[in-house]
Amino acid sequence: MLIVKNIKKKFIKYNSKKQKEEFLANNDISFEAKKGEVVGILGPNGAGKTTLLRMIAGILKPDEGNINFDGFNYLENEIEIKKNIAYLSGNTKIYKSLSTYELLKMCCEIYEVDKQKVESRIKEISKILNMDNFLYNKIENLSTGQTQRVNIARCLVHDPQYYILDEATSGLDIISSQIILDFIKKEKQKGKTIIYSTHYMEEAENICDNVFMINKGKVIKVGTPKQIKKDTNTTNLRDAFFDLIGGERDEK
Amino acid sequence: MKSKVLNILKKELREMFRDKKSLSMMLVVPIMIPLLVIGMSALFEMQMNKSVDDYNKIGFNYEMNEVEKQLAKQTKIKTILASEKELKEKYKNNEIDLYVIKRDNNYIINGEDNETTSYSSSLVENYFSLYKSYLQNEYLSKNNIPANNVINIINVEKNIKQADNYFASFITSYAFLFIIMAITISATYPATDTTAGEKERGTLETLLTFPIKSRDIIVGKFLSVSISSIITGIISLILTIISLMFANNKFSIYKDVNLMLSPTSLIFAAIVIIAYSFLISGLCIAIASKCKTFKEAQSALTPLTFISFFPGLIAFMINIKTTALYALIPFLNYTLIFTDITNGSINYLYIILMLISTIIVILSVLVVIIKQYKSEKVLFSN
Repeated sequence: MLIVKNIKKKFIKYNSKKQKEEFLANNDISFEAKKGEVVGILGPNGAGKTTLLRMIAGILKPDEGNINFDGFNYLENEIEIKKNIAYLSGNTKIYKSLSTYELLKMCCEIYEVDKQKVESRIKEISKILNMDNFLYNKIENLSTGQTQRVNIARCLVHDPQYYILDEATSGLDIISSQIILDFIKKEKQKGKTIIYSTHYMEEAENICDNVFMINKGKVIKVGTPKQIKKDTNTTNLRDAFFDLIGGERDEK
Repeated sequence: MKSKVLNILKKELREMFRDKKSLSMMLVVPIMIPLLVIGMSALFEMQMNKSVDDYNKIGFNYEMNEVEKQLAKQTKIKTILASEKELKEKYKNNEIDLYVIKRDNNYIINGEDNETTSYSSSLVENYFSLYKSYLQNEYLSKNNIPANNVINIINVEKNIKQADNYFASFITSYAFLFIIMAITISATYPATDTTAGEKERGTLETLLTFPIKSRDIIVGKFLSVSISSIITGIISLILTIISLMFANNKFSIYKDVNLMLSPTSLIFAAIVIIAYSFLISGLCIAIASKCKTFKEAQSALTPLTFISFFPGLIAFMINIKTTALYALIPFLNYTLIFTDITNGSINYLYIILMLISTIIVILSVLVVIIKQYKSEKVLFSN
């Protein structure tokens, strides 16, 4: 189980007068994600979703609070935790000069996949994601959809328990987005925990068991999509969000 | 730890060898060295073998007697007799190389400093030295004084050991200084690409999610840049040796000089190259990893190229010799020890001191980079 407790993260930014200014990207965020659960982190751009997910993935360190994976925390067990998570973001880029096969092999080595099983694991993943026809092509020559499949493939090699997906469908066409949504559904069925951030409310409504709506670094609502809609007396999460922020429509 | 470093190293080398720019920096920069060695040798040769006809036209504003004419012929001076005004005009029109104006017993050599003045001037000075000596002898013999007792009243002999061939020492020193420069130039590109380039391309985020410690990432990156620099250094060394061999056979200025290094000297030259490659790779990574973009890193690394070159250049200019202290000073020590090696004098103490200083600098730099790779400010400066 993933437990995120009282997370705070400050950044320094420069105001219009070029003076340093502190701002809280995440302010006292807490939630839990159980086995086989898809947890949606929803919010507009700049709400603090990426910062939160980067902290969960161990790329950033929280200023306060702690993150706990099955009893392990980053301070003491960083490598062990990272072995059991996969992080995929809309901004995540992969090594374009490598071929898909080389990238997957490198990931298998880094994640210490049993040497005897590396070849069969790559073939298996290639089959699942339908990558056989470009497995040995350089990533720089692949289409956006194919590249996104390679990105998913690198997350699968070590069969992690936790997937941290940060706006993974952002900027993708319908087909490429669907590949990712299908992937989430399949992994959920296998009992994997998925933390999924997006600003596409409809997408979250379809796949998330639990939703955390955040705005300006703070959690503004927690619950199942159904419950949130009921509480806000709305028919979809988009309207629910606007209802919760008091009708502010300054950020998309 | 070892296997994770190897994973990063393999990935970095694969990327480096597939990148045309990195490859060209690694392989093309050393080609400048043969051009330098052969080009400079050809220039020296041209200067040395300047024909006397290019600088022996000397104007005189007076009629020369038979003795003077004879001495001028002996010293290969081609005399042009004319008035002072005409000589000035001829000099202006480059018809003569220098001109001599006689006023009573004063002979004034006139001209302006240019590429042939030193040759012409020494020709005229030699002529007047012979003429003066003739006049002294004549005066003494007229007055029945044994000339030998006066002119050679004391005898001075030169017993100064002939210095090494100036051109040979110049060309070998500069060739090795250029190896240092080639290594520096070739280290900057992969160092920039693997740090600031990785940030700019967005692959750093992926790398940081892997279960690898920052220390292992840095060591892997450091080794990959070092390997690239060592390859450049070794290619440069091989090309230097080939071009020195070629120059040795081709140019007469290296006559009776052996430009080739002994096998021992070559081994030590390779050790200096390897030590320098490690040092410069570490420094380049440390500087580039603080930058947000590739361009910013390249600008930040430009001064390093000059810093790597200047201490050696200054050492050559003011003829600094290696001491234990200098052997500890990074950048200066490599060029000084290179010069010692090319001169055939290998001092093991200095080489050990150079290695100790290199290791200390590299370790300090690695600690700094590892700290940088733990700092969110450096990694996510946006």
